[in-house]
Amino acid sequence: MIQKIALLVFVLSFGVQADIAVIVNPANANVVSADDLNRLFLGRASSFADGTKATPLNLSEGQVARDEFDSKVLNRSSAQLKAYWSKLVFTGKGTPPKEMADDAAVKAAVAADPNAIGYISSGSVDGTVKVVTTF
Amino acid sequence: MLKKSLIAFAVSGLLIAPAHAEVQINGFASIKAGMTLDSDDELYGYTNDLDFKNESLMALQVRSDLGEKLSVTAQLMGRGNNDFDIGFEWAFITYQLNDNTMINAGRLRGPFYKYSEYKDVGYAYDWSRVPRSVYGLGFDNIEGISVYRTDIIAGFDSTLIAMYGGYDGTTGLGDGQLDGFVGASWELSRDWYNFRIAYYNADASLTFANQDANNLLGALNANGFAALAEEIDFDKDKGTFFGIGAGIDRENLVIVAEYNRTEVDNTLFANRENYFISVAYRLGSITPYISHEWERHDSKPEIYQPYQNLASTPLAPLYFGAVATVESQAKEADTLNIGLRYDFHSSAAFKLQYTSQKNKLLDTRVGLLVAGVDLVF
Repeated sequence: MIQKIALLVFVLSFGVQADIAVIVNPANANVVSADDLNRLFLGRASSFADGTKATPLNLSEGQVARDEFDSKVLNRSSAQLKAYWSKLVFTGKGTPPKEMADDAAVKAAVAADPNAIGYISSGSVDGTVKVVTTF
Repeated sequence: MLKKSLIAFAVSGLLIAPAHAEVQINGFASIKAGMTLDSDDELYGYTNDLDFKNESLMALQVRSDLGEKLSVTAQLMGRGNNDFDIGFEWAFITYQLNDNTMINAGRLRGPFYKYSEYKDVGYAYDWSRVPRSVYGLGFDNIEGISVYRTDIIAGFDSTLIAMYGGYDGTTGLGDGQLDGFVGASWELSRDWYNFRIAYYNADASLTFANQDANNLLGALNANGFAALAEEIDFDKDKGTFFGIGAGIDRENLVIVAEYNRTEVDNTLFANRENYFISVAYRLGSITPYISHEWERHDSKPEIYQPYQNLASTPLAPLYFGAVATVESQAKEADTLNIGLRYDFHSSAAFKLQYTSQKNKLLDTRVGLLVAGVDLVF
């Protein structure tokens, strides 16, 4: 029985590794929808539902969760996103979210900043951050 | 004067930026090689000799966050067709009034068309160049102040830009100026579709680059036809621009269409109607596209018609001079573009575009082939 549960846990955790978890600071009580994420990560909104400032944190290009987030949540390829941001950057209308090196860096930044919102592979989640949604 | 001091103000902002200010440096570049396909043909600055400079450009943008919601941005650009001489293409200060409102002051890009603000950033769109016959005002920048506001209205993402200012420099017809430039552009987008509308007006004055036209004005005034001269020249005459656009971007299919109408009252400026439609389809990293542009510039015979009895008098040369000058503004051209974008690198795209333009008044056709790379850094 215990072996079966262990196997099940193993299979489940293996299964969710490809997923991405959107994370915020444990002190942040806001609900974040897919639309909100789109607006925050495309520079069209800069605060959470309760009005507090939101600081989106991106993973650097080439990280697995970054590609997943771009295609599943933002519905754009990395080239499309680069073109999108170049429109805003070179017309003085916005700057892309700060990029962090890896899951650990995003997690540490979110754990330390109540305004931060980021995403990491589900397998990297621990108690220092709060998961608001997964994809 | 106000304009010059605005730029100086923006640039001085960069210089006085505190040492701890966060400075971002970005840039973009395009290297294009092209030539027309027939020996005597010219189009968009290209001739039948292979040219690497005409549409090539490099730009460096420096943005410094001064804190207290204030930032300053300067974009230095060198264009190949101007020997890569560096100039300030944009230079402005930004005040972030609140979460969704920004105020910019300085040298800005006039947001006439859907792509006009970033028309130099080739990486940001699929074509080799923006639809040139539709985006044909002959000047790009406005010195003044703009308000940029984003909202969510009934589920649509709304982007509003309102601008006030002026312009002093070259135009399509000669050196001139725009005073009291004012208007707004508004874009609504949702999921996979978007709409846009723009309206601007200003008082236009200029000296014709064509010396024959200036000589004609002098002769008309000297011979007591000041009223006719006034119908031809640009002397604080009201110009209006109206544009609409729509686009869809769904399941890799991208369709964009724009229409605009430009008029300048009491001048020889033809009533210009320009429009285009473009269809592109993304196949992974390769995006083929096809677009068609229509250019319809109706001249104003009503300017010279009341004077046609002059044709049989000794002043006939004045009359026929007026006819020729007014009619020189007529244009009817169709342009077909076929090309592709290939994203061969994470920050660079290769583009190949064939353009065929038919001048319907002269019944001539010019073909142009351009290949190049657009990149951002």
